[in-house]
Amino acid sequence: MADSRETNRDQAIIVDRGYRHYDGTRTGRRGAVRAIVKEGFRRVMGFRRKAKRKLLPWTLITVAVASVVILVAITWATSQTPAEELTDLVPRYRGYFDFISVVALLFAAYAGAQLLIPDRTDGVLNVYFSRPLAVRDYLIGKTLAYATVILSFWLVPQLLLHLGLAALSREGFLSYLGQTTDILWQVPLAALAYFVLHASLSFLTASFINRVGAAAAAFLIGSLGLNLVALFFQEAADDTTGSRWAALLATEQHPRYVRDWIFGVHDSADWIPAQAGFGPGISLAVIVGLAVVSAALIGWRYRRLT
Amino acid sequence: MRSRESGLVTEPGTGPEAGAPIIETGGLYKHYGNIRALEDVNLDIHPGVTGLIGANGAGKTTLIRLVLGLIRPTYGQISVFGTPVAEDPAGLRERIGYMPENKCLPLDQTAADFVAYAAELGGIPPVEARRRASETLFLVGLHEERFRYLGDFSTGMQQRVKLAQSIVHDPELVLLDEPASGLDPAGRDQMLELIARFREFGMNVLFSSHILDDIERTCDWVVMLDAGRLIHSAPLDPPGEGDRLAVEVYGDPRPLVEALTRQGVSPTLDGTVVTVVTRSEDAFTVMRDALESSGSSVRRLGTSLRRLEDVLVAAARKANG
Repeated sequence: MADSRETNRDQAIIVDRGYRHYDGTRTGRRGAVRAIVKEGFRRVMGFRRKAKRKLLPWTLITVAVASVVILVAITWATSQTPAEELTDLVPRYRGYFDFISVVALLFAAYAGAQLLIPDRTDGVLNVYFSRPLAVRDYLIGKTLAYATVILSFWLVPQLLLHLGLAALSREGFLSYLGQTTDILWQVPLAALAYFVLHASLSFLTASFINRVGAAAAAFLIGSLGLNLVALFFQEAADDTTGSRWAALLATEQHPRYVRDWIFGVHDSADWIPAQAGFGPGISLAVIVGLAVVSAALIGWRYRRLT
Repeated sequence: MRSRESGLVTEPGTGPEAGAPIIETGGLYKHYGNIRALEDVNLDIHPGVTGLIGANGAGKTTLIRLVLGLIRPTYGQISVFGTPVAEDPAGLRERIGYMPENKCLPLDQTAADFVAYAAELGGIPPVEARRRASETLFLVGLHEERFRYLGDFSTGMQQRVKLAQSIVHDPELVLLDEPASGLDPAGRDQMLELIARFREFGMNVLFSSHILDDIERTCDWVVMLDAGRLIHSAPLDPPGEGDRLAVEVYGDPRPLVEALTRQGVSPTLDGTVVTVVTRSEDAFTVMRDALESSGSSVRRLGTSLRRLEDVLVAAARKANG
């Protein structure tokens, strides 16, 4: 046995595996865009990264899911009390958007910065644009990756909330689901309004700032700070046209106003644009306008980079 | 034609292969405002390993970016594999690999993940991309380290990953921009050996460097740019000359010349350098016998003592009048 092993050792050779050519099909630009979406999703979520890169996104996701658990628990607790009408005061689908608005804003800021900035600062754009990709393809891939993570962030907890409320419903699970079919289009549409605004602003800041933390901070300051500016003009209201138009600077409030519109809530007087006399259609136009301007600026910036 | 058979390629290659140019430029100009990056470049780059040499700012990177279709020429034409770059830049890039000079690695990813991602970006389906990433990292000597994060790699290892990402999608042409920069001598040797092996794989290489030794060691053909102008494009060793040997001797070279003449060869004398070119005999044997009979002492010996540096300096002088 030992002799046999010795013989085998003597005969062992190092085999050069050489290089294998690839003759299969190629996926082209679509495959490249799919790869960007998949890799973008992993990057934001911290998959295949060190543990410290998972910390922030998963903390925020945990808070979002925990919020649902808390809402469902409160709903159950109030339904057990004699004052059952308290259940109506617990935030539901529309209210959930406000319930986790700060957490969602942080997640949006982090995701936008994480998707665009490391590619620039690590020089990876050199690799992207040596492949069959145009700037447009790259930005489309990143936007789709952003849509995947942001819409998941909104919709997965909303789905859990929906199932939780259905489970608690006195009418029965299936009956509740049947009675609330409107939710199936209202929630995704409202989430889309948030996504478009957040994608525009976070990609815009991430395109021009080279530090993830600084870009995320600029996005948060831009979103919340402009609200304060709009509020300032409103407080100092004289009836001049300028101060009225300043209400449109309250970017963070536009998706909320549009969301109320989608949910058929007409008592939206709390929103700064509403107080200035603008309808929700104007808020929607502001969101779309911001998206168009941001896309143009981001495209210009990346064409210059390449 | 270049061989691209499937399966493992283990047989050594035979050097530059004849065939149509892989890159052709005609009256190529690239201006950035008032800066003239390239001026009237007319160039054919044939299959094989081609060195692109020039000082910083000579236009090497601009030429590479034009080949990739990342920028458009101000005037003139550039074709790759016979197709004008402007016609289908994305389609051509599927057949090209590029190793940038500067950093291009996401430091928070593992080598295996990044190289597989680079393969997917190059059009390889995901499962095959992972397999090829593993094989390519093996080829560049990083198989054991493939699951380590790139941020934990040394400069030499990062250069190897950059090289791996440039070939993982099986390109026909690889553009290497200063691939050995930042490496220590041992790392430089390993990198150049790897690049020299690309011939075996049937890959064509355009290798940009400002280090002449690297070009001499690796390339079949050299192209020199100076201030955006093409001043030299020729093979490193002119073919069809026969067996060549040059010797620089200490002291008087005439006894050696006479000894060689007695052996029936016609040496050329340039200062103290004696060169012989033989058609039917081994030049080394002829020279050895002549050195023995003349009693001359060798100072330097090689196939050509006229180094690439001399050739390029002469070309630059000629171009500048």
